[in-house]
Amino acid sequence: MLRVAFDIGGTFTDFVLYDERAKRTRFWKVLSTPSEPSRGALAGLKELLASEGVPPSEITHVLHATTVAANAVIERKGSRVALVTTGGFRDIIVMGRQKRYDTYDVYLEMPKPLIERANVFEISERIDAQGEVVEALSEESVKAIVPGLKKSGCDAIAVCLLHSYANPAHERRVQEILSASLPGVPVTISADISPKIREYERASTTVANAYVQPIVRTYIGQLEARLSELSIRAPLSIMQSSGGLVTPALARRYPIRIVESGPAAGVLMCADVGRQEGRDHVLTFDMGGTTAKLGAADKGEPAVTSTFEIARERFREGSGLPLNVPSVELLEIGAGGGSIATVEMGVIRVGPESAGADPGPVCYGLGGKRATVTDANLVLGFLDPEYFNGGKMRLDSEGAAKAIEEQLANPLGISVLEAAWGIHRVANSNMERAMRVVSVERGRNPADYALVAFGGAGPLHGARLAKALNVPTLIIPAGAGVGSAVGLLAARSKIDVALTRFMEINENSSSQIADIYTELTSLALDDIKRLDVEPSKIIWSRYAYMRYRGQGHERKIDLPAGGIDKGYAARVVEIFNGEYRKNYGYLDPTSVIEAVDWYLVGSAAATQNSVSISLRGDGATASAPKTRDVYFPELGGATPCQVVNRYELKVGQKIVGPAIVEEKESTTVVLPGDVVALSPAGSLVVSISQKA
Amino acid sequence: MAVASKSNRPGVDPITMSVLWNGLIGVSEEMGSTLRRTAFSEAVRDGDDFSTALFDRFGRLLSQGNFTPGHLGSMPFIMKTVMEYFPAETLKDGDAILGNDSEIGSGHYPDFFMVTPVFREGGIVAYTINIAHQCDVGGAVPGSQVIPGITEAFQEGLRILPIKIVAEGKFDQPLLRMILGNVRMPEKVGGDIRAQWNANFVGGERVNRLIDSLGLDEFDACVEAILNASEKRMRELISNIPDGTYSYDDVMDEAGPGTGAIPVCVDITVAGDTIAVDFSRSGDQVAAGMNSYINYTRAYAMFAIKVFADALLPQNDGVIRPISIHSRKGSFFNPKFPAPSSGRAVNQVRIFEVINGALAQVLPQKAMGAFSHWTNVNIGGIDERTGRPFVFYDVLFGGYGGRADKDGVEALAPIINCPNIPIEIQEAANPLLVRRCELIQDSSGAGKYRGGSGLRKDIELRTEAATLCPISDRHETAPYGIFGGLAGTKAETILNPDTQPVRIGSKEVRRLRKGDVVSFRLAGAGGYGDPKERPRAAIEADLREGHISLEAARRIYNYRPS
Repeated sequence: MLRVAFDIGGTFTDFVLYDERAKRTRFWKVLSTPSEPSRGALAGLKELLASEGVPPSEITHVLHATTVAANAVIERKGSRVALVTTGGFRDIIVMGRQKRYDTYDVYLEMPKPLIERANVFEISERIDAQGEVVEALSEESVKAIVPGLKKSGCDAIAVCLLHSYANPAHERRVQEILSASLPGVPVTISADISPKIREYERASTTVANAYVQPIVRTYIGQLEARLSELSIRAPLSIMQSSGGLVTPALARRYPIRIVESGPAAGVLMCADVGRQEGRDHVLTFDMGGTTAKLGAADKGEPAVTSTFEIARERFREGSGLPLNVPSVELLEIGAGGGSIATVEMGVIRVGPESAGADPGPVCYGLGGKRATVTDANLVLGFLDPEYFNGGKMRLDSEGAAKAIEEQLANPLGISVLEAAWGIHRVANSNMERAMRVVSVERGRNPADYALVAFGGAGPLHGARLAKALNVPTLIIPAGAGVGSAVGLLAARSKIDVALTRFMEINENSSSQIADIYTELTSLALDDIKRLDVEPSKIIWSRYAYMRYRGQGHERKIDLPAGGIDKGYAARVVEIFNGEYRKNYGYLDPTSVIEAVDWYLVGSAAATQNSVSISLRGDGATASAPKTRDVYFPELGGATPCQVVNRYELKVGQKIVGPAIVEEKESTTVVLPGDVVALSPAGSLVVSISQKA
Repeated sequence: MAVASKSNRPGVDPITMSVLWNGLIGVSEEMGSTLRRTAFSEAVRDGDDFSTALFDRFGRLLSQGNFTPGHLGSMPFIMKTVMEYFPAETLKDGDAILGNDSEIGSGHYPDFFMVTPVFREGGIVAYTINIAHQCDVGGAVPGSQVIPGITEAFQEGLRILPIKIVAEGKFDQPLLRMILGNVRMPEKVGGDIRAQWNANFVGGERVNRLIDSLGLDEFDACVEAILNASEKRMRELISNIPDGTYSYDDVMDEAGPGTGAIPVCVDITVAGDTIAVDFSRSGDQVAAGMNSYINYTRAYAMFAIKVFADALLPQNDGVIRPISIHSRKGSFFNPKFPAPSSGRAVNQVRIFEVINGALAQVLPQKAMGAFSHWTNVNIGGIDERTGRPFVFYDVLFGGYGGRADKDGVEALAPIINCPNIPIEIQEAANPLLVRRCELIQDSSGAGKYRGGSGLRKDIELRTEAATLCPISDRHETAPYGIFGGLAGTKAETILNPDTQPVRIGSKEVRRLRKGDVVSFRLAGAGGYGDPKERPRAAIEADLREGHISLEAARRIYNYRPS
């Protein structure tokens, strides 16, 4: 088994080659080629295989994460989409949910829709909430819009009619007529992409799918062609936002499901690393150049939400485009290495504005003028100016110090070191607030979790974050700098299907629930055929969104696996009651329990155990012990501190902080009193001392 | 009181202050998410119709969560009143004070406020407070909000002057029973009161954690520094506005058929680094459920002033010190008890708009044309399919006015900030069919930068009978344009537009029968700047997108197709 995984990001494309028999892992990193991402990726893959002496034909699995769909939406570079909708409702997309994402800003702009209002076409038909036809579909009205559709020059069509989740007949007929009239233009209908109640969110998902479809189709085609040029015959699997892999055929059909491909793989990696260390509950902390992404895995499984938003503004809820796409739960905030620090009203503020990668922090010497978190980390001694990105980049300490002095220390009347420490602390404080949302506010007790930190800057801030939240253990996985690619190795194939059925749930509901799951199973089998997995090897799981009737919000309730017998509904009621009591502290026996959305998830059985990353073979030769001055306020300021090369650590060897552990892609800060050890699986495991 | 410790000691560490400030805001936000997560009613859980705040032991606002603006200006006055009713020495750890009086609170009975003292080593170190909109407090109609036909507050439901609802961690059950015995949905109200308690409790724990890390002296010193820095910034911002008195007059629609329009007049005096807002020239209080008690007036006036100064300034005592809000006692904006006020939400847009109109004279870059306004629709009756009562609640939002450098935003909640309710959800829950919901062509106020469009929503009743209670405005005066921008179209509500059209008033209560269609057409928002200066490309984009007709383009913009 020889698996290769690659994650194409905005700046870098990361690779991991994993030889299961030899237990050998190799990381590789090349610059991305945004104009045609598959070109850079395959060039990198070729280099990697050549350097390892691996014949392409021996590769058994190709696993892939990509930002191609996400970027098309974020940069509004997708295709020209026309929307066909019920007469009288052409403004569903323009209106959205009509709430300001920042209450106090009345000057804000709302996100630009993916379609123009001029490209919305209305037809005559109406179905009501019960799925009954109020007004028959006028086929004439559909034919009447064909000339307009042709004239619009659209290269994809989305169809979203009111209540199609309850009765898709009209949408299907519209699809037939339009497909026949406009050959070659893909027609996405909302009943296929997301048969769920709430017209704006469903329309948004349908339009977004149509919007990215041509780009994703072209991209996958190019990728497959280049893989076959390289004589790689192994099947290609693509990561979805939900953390499951799919075949290219399914990714072409539901391209919107791969938008959060890379971040999902990152969370999978954390869950896998947690399992290896015997920690089923992990909080995940990915800190890169412009943002930090925070997530969680419970009982070994990444937390997944049924909807999320893409392309947010100011990291605010409600500022992006909603997608009814199962996705790993991630909270993104504007706190990265490139986040800019300023003084306002006598205090330090960090982010959300970022210097990004270009011009980047002052210390990169690429023209950045404003002090950033990375500049502070350099001045504090956390980073080695000579060993950044494995020594490929030299950092300008003097420039960083000067910027911090002028922009922060002087206005505040404090020293440069104090100002740098202030930047680091405020950045941590921002992340602590966000992590409290992910943990405490969502019912996760940090004391029961381990924190897995990755990304370029995650290991620098992880220990302080863990301490602030009372998380007892910090894990820095091997290959923290290529975390998403590593996560792909741990992924399994997965498909999700969903539908909306309002239904009262009581102990007599079992046969109705069985009917729903019969319907969902037949929907899923259609997709399973495209999945390259034996249907008998699929593991099924179910969940539903439920509430007390009359409430506006539903809770996700995991439903029992196995057969749906007479007693099934009673067990569902019991689970709902347990969940409700846990979250709200009481039950309302007088209210009716109602289920709204139903889900079925089919995943391939695990084919392999966790991936153990061994870095042997990558290691440097033993070098002389190193120390440098590093700022620890608990030790009175800048203090000589041991610097350890991660590649020289032995399994089980314990180092008591303060210490700095360096590797090529990242640097780990170990605080005074904390203890770090290299685990047999290759991770750095830090026991966080709970003393203040 | 230990006034000495309130002095601003020099030498506060800026890093500690930075982190503490972040932490104080975090406390209010976490209180808010606790409230939202544990509340039972839609208003709190989906509508964000609540607010949370943290006060120091002297009753000064330290931080407020980023939730509804409706409570910003009222919180400090609630705190003050509660401290008068319950001086510190009468409180014990675990106590909580509840009230909903319109004058003491935030302007109508559905808003319940709760204040909880935070104890540390036997003494009070802070107060946590939140206000949540309860779904019902009894009175004449379900939901306890109606404008016409209400002549005094006693018709509006249960009035609670501050009471100790929780004593040392235990709810006062007889009191709770009395409250819940007077509301239509006791489970929801009871659940939300408990959620309010939870939120304050969580806030108190977090404050104590913050103090743990600093010590009380350092905490106090940092708080002083934060409030003073905020006050200094606000005074600087106000100093940049030229001194003078700026006035603006507008009117609101009548409060019910035949009651007469309500003058809304503001005089804003900027003097050095202070600003005073006075609504005294406005009309007298009215015998209808829409008067704006002074705390409500303060809340939205404060919001407007902050928007013109720096909308993103943190909210605390320092920021509000240089601002005073006033209105003549007995006026519409400072009525005397028992003036009814349950539907006072209809005033928030106009409070903002007159301040906008006045300050446009000196801050043209920040001003905008008037909003499309909004409409709150309530339709209640019996659903013949189930035999059970239903209450359909809807909020309709049109566009924003044109701005100094851009057109007005289309279809967005004005001032009030909550999401609309999906049509599919509305139809699943109520015997109604929405016939259309779309922007109205040629409704926006023209200008160099045009206003946003009005919104039309037609709703058909599919059950035997029901009662319509709309809360709307701008039927009689159109949203104004500024700097040469034109007003938008007026709003209208038409019963059965396609069969036997009947115009109905903006707040007129009507009985509906099966098959009746009510067509709400919101006003168009006002334009900014002379329409002659509108670029041709912008006119053509409006034509292409269908916002204006060719006829209107010719007439208003003198447009000639090439």
